[in-house]
Amino acid sequence: MSRRLREWSLAFAMLAPSVVVLVAFVLYPLVRAIWLGRQRCDALANCYRTNGWQQYIDVAQSREFQHALWVTVKFALLTVPAGVALGLGLAVLADRQLRGFRFFRTVFSSTVATSVAVASLMWLFLLQPSRGVLANIDWLNSLFPVLKSPGLLNDPGTALTSVAVSSIWANLGFTFIVVTAGLQSIPRELQESAYVDGAGPWRRFTNVTVPMLSPTLVFVAVVLTSRAFQAYGEIDLLTNGGPVPQDSTTTITYLIYGSSSIAKSDAGLQSSVAVLLFVVLLIVSGLQLRGLGKRVHYGS
Amino acid sequence: MAAEMIATEAQGPRRARADDTAIGMDTVRRGWPMVLRYLLLAFVAAMVLLPVYTTLVAALKPGGKVLDRPFVPEHLTLQVFRDAWTEGRLGRYLLNSTVVAVVITTTQLVTSVLAAYAFAFLRFPLKTFWFAVFLSTLLVPLETTLVVNRRTVDSLGWLNTYQGLAVPFLATAFGTFLMRQVFMQIPKELREAAEMDGLGHLGFLREVALPLVRPTLGALALFSFLASWNQYLWPNLITTEEDMNTVQTGLRLLNSSVPDIERFNVPIAGTIIAALPIALVLIAFQRQLVRGLTAGAVKG
Amino acid sequence: MRLAVHTGREYAGRRRTALFLAAASLAVAACSGGGGDSLSNAGNTTPAPATTAAPGDTSGGTTEGTTGTTAAPSTTVADALADLPTCNTGALDSATGPVEITFWHGMTADLEKELTRLTDAYNSSQPKVKVTLQNQGGYEQVIDKYMQSGQDSRPDLVQAPEYAVQSFRDTDSFIPVEACSKDAGYDTSALLPSAVNAYATGGVQWAMPFNVSNPVLYYNKKVFAAAGLDPEKPPTTLEELASTSKQIVDSGAASYGLVLDTSFDSGGGWFIEQWFAKAREFYADNENGRVAPATKVLFDGATGVEIMSFLQRGVQDGTFFNVGDNASGQDTFLKIADVNEPGAMTIGTSAGLGTVLAAIAAGIAPNVAVEDLGIAPMPGPNASLTVLVGGASLWIPADKGDEKAAAAWDFIQYLASAETQSAWASATGYVPMRDDAVALDPLKSTYTNDPRFRVAYDSLVATPDEPTAVGPLLGPQRDVRVLTSRAMATVLDGGDPQAALTDAATRANQLLADYQAQQGG
Repeated sequence: MSRRLREWSLAFAMLAPSVVVLVAFVLYPLVRAIWLGRQRCDALANCYRTNGWQQYIDVAQSREFQHALWVTVKFALLTVPAGVALGLGLAVLADRQLRGFRFFRTVFSSTVATSVAVASLMWLFLLQPSRGVLANIDWLNSLFPVLKSPGLLNDPGTALTSVAVSSIWANLGFTFIVVTAGLQSIPRELQESAYVDGAGPWRRFTNVTVPMLSPTLVFVAVVLTSRAFQAYGEIDLLTNGGPVPQDSTTTITYLIYGSSSIAKSDAGLQSSVAVLLFVVLLIVSGLQLRGLGKRVHYGS
Repeated sequence: MAAEMIATEAQGPRRARADDTAIGMDTVRRGWPMVLRYLLLAFVAAMVLLPVYTTLVAALKPGGKVLDRPFVPEHLTLQVFRDAWTEGRLGRYLLNSTVVAVVITTTQLVTSVLAAYAFAFLRFPLKTFWFAVFLSTLLVPLETTLVVNRRTVDSLGWLNTYQGLAVPFLATAFGTFLMRQVFMQIPKELREAAEMDGLGHLGFLREVALPLVRPTLGALALFSFLASWNQYLWPNLITTEEDMNTVQTGLRLLNSSVPDIERFNVPIAGTIIAALPIALVLIAFQRQLVRGLTAGAVKG
Repeated sequence: MRLAVHTGREYAGRRRTALFLAAASLAVAACSGGGGDSLSNAGNTTPAPATTAAPGDTSGGTTEGTTGTTAAPSTTVADALADLPTCNTGALDSATGPVEITFWHGMTADLEKELTRLTDAYNSSQPKVKVTLQNQGGYEQVIDKYMQSGQDSRPDLVQAPEYAVQSFRDTDSFIPVEACSKDAGYDTSALLPSAVNAYATGGVQWAMPFNVSNPVLYYNKKVFAAAGLDPEKPPTTLEELASTSKQIVDSGAASYGLVLDTSFDSGGGWFIEQWFAKAREFYADNENGRVAPATKVLFDGATGVEIMSFLQRGVQDGTFFNVGDNASGQDTFLKIADVNEPGAMTIGTSAGLGTVLAAIAAGIAPNVAVEDLGIAPMPGPNASLTVLVGGASLWIPADKGDEKAAAAWDFIQYLASAETQSAWASATGYVPMRDDAVALDPLKSTYTNDPRFRVAYDSLVATPDEPTAVGPLLGPQRDVRVLTSRAMATVLDGGDPQAALTDAATRANQLLADYQAQQGG
């Protein structure tokens, strides 16, 4: 066998396991979902009517999808800017010069150890109206009667925000660790020269720190956004799609898989929403990188 | 995942490392700004610890007493933890989660390293095409694939099995690209020297390349482990036997069969038990954790 | 790899254009529909292509809301048992060794504990069958997992709630319980007709009722006495509910009379069906969907509007209180137990009685003592005692082999036996589905010692065997209940009852049409 052929077959052998898995469990499902999304079916994907691409348009225009899209966007708007700002602010405040910085760093990183189920249940215990901690603090209740009746998670005005708070909390560890690591790569000389130029702490922050951190911040923003768009566990555990009838916490993912979802008995509808999620995420990521990418600073 | 990879490219060239002092050289050591800083940090730290603290306190009290004074640890007992362990079958679920996470992590390492090696060091036809195939899988969100994947796994008879829980995650484009990046940083001379020593590709991989990239390997391993441990939607979909629940779905089950008022804190204790092992793992592997989380944000 | 946003100016421009175009087209596609139709209607506006569409196919509703055509039902002929999977109950005798069967259920908390106890007792009492319980986490999860699994992955026995009867039957994956019962010569004389009929359609008994509940009125006798009402004469009609509430509020004995919720599985959904049964009216056509699949709902007629208006009046004049969605199922009770602004009565499932009494005994309601709680039949448009069964039943999946089916039937017989029903009802607050269980301990003592527990049972026994008393059978029944629950929420917030009900009915009919199309005609 020629050397080249040997190299080719070795490459093939090395790629094969990944390719098999990726094609079978990522690409094939995507293609099949796109195909199923054109049809109406039962839960087992036995399809009884093919509607073609018009079905995607119908789904995209449907009341439930529009609402879920709006809820998802709102959720992202609630969690991402706050999450980035919080991680950035805390990382900057808890720097090495501070006495006891190790303690603060441990605390702020700690939520990375919580999974979605753990974090959601912890917050459920805090927020639920009858057997929750906050609802059983009398003075707090008199200030905020919504805590007990109907409860932060059951009131359409506060449900999504409450879920967002638990999500920000759970993501704080990740954000904090990444931003702190990013801070470590900012060269001292830059700070020093800014100081020498007479810039105060805030100016140094805005003119040196943030620009130098911008790649990290973009990264964090992009990851948090995709997590927000794919949020499922927190909603499943905390609100089950949100107080009915407003469905205040029914996100797109919940529309696909949630137990209260109207789509779950039809694999065709599920698939079309799933494919639309894919499209939405593509656009959002693209827009984000376009918009934020412009602000990324290179060089000195 | 796609977002992370794309954001990686938005990075500039790597900066020299330095101690992180984001705010300034002359940080005021005493006075109001410092006090304010400590207060702010302490307040946020308290907020971050609040859910964990109340959960822990609630898990140590008998159910009827939990809400009397939710913040005061009194009437302490370990009985609730014992109940959570037995009733929640957390031992079995922790085992399941661990087995699945280990399987996924080791398999991901193998498939990623192999594929990355092929991309980094081998020549073969249609390399760009295959690269694009990998890349495209990064763009597909998990939720889009699960409807079809469930049918696939069901028809394979792999519901309620470890292989069923693991199989959609056995390969990852993210891991492949990460390892490829790090492989490409290996100087050519090393490869040439290895060739002269008579080492073929596999030998080179084993003797030279792998040891060199061990830190990144460790980071990827931890990242994969964490991601697999936190899986919520997929285990939910394919588990119909109680024995095969992972910790995340087991918590959900424990929470939905919430016992009466006297024992409602059993699931709460369950969350502590569920979070403990992963917290210990993360503490033990902190360095890999940081590297793993920032793998997309900072090169190398 | 160079897929980066900043790869070069010449790419940047093209990429940006592509991105904006994509975003714009999605926005246009998404927003140009304005308001939008329901997701369940997606694709229905395309002309039905040449697929296997049966001639009598409903053409799919448009947004104008054609309330479902009275299409010739595709299967007016009652299912003959002969065409359905058979049950060979003798297969158990010839089995070598114990037959293991899996049982998917949705029982939680104390109910699960009792079920486990009963199952363990069964397993250890005989060597032929070994039952393994698999808790799926709730009724919805049982249904979802069953629907999404291939037949091989389905269990040997499954518990399904009363609103899933049509959809389960239509999976064509079950052996009707009647087949086993006939094959074994099972004596059904003691079974309560109202419980059994709920799980029959098209002349075939599909499932065996297991845990039965129905709504009862919970009321605070102390408040009644303080308001000058006779604590032993609670309201029996809706008008009396209103006048009693008014008297309570006026006297200051409590802040509210009736406490309502709008949840789909109680106030906003299930109760509506109950009230229609009490009014002796059909909730859906084709005799509530029992002789042929229903094609349209009837709750937007005069009766429905009357009920909704009645509830709305009560909320608006301050004598009723609406707790809202009641996701936990406890909010109505907690309102009665409230210290500051308590309500005086509520309608809730009889299955909650044990839990409520235990909670009161544990001190959750400082102003209510255990003996203050009164239980009475659910009031309705008239004083009728008719109730529709709630709870769940047992189904036997087919194609598992004769031995498994026979084993499942054996376990069903055990669960449906007088002894087991007596123990089960006594421990849980469910109602036995047979009358001879009442004469056995422990249930006999429970009923003697605390007659409150038998109110639900007496209502069930008093329910006549007539078509309107069997309850609606719809494919998308849960979703239809969600629609009525939303309508009620709107109405209680001040919306117009007729408009809300008509809107809900239109959507419900669309769901029914879709469901029929899904079944292939």
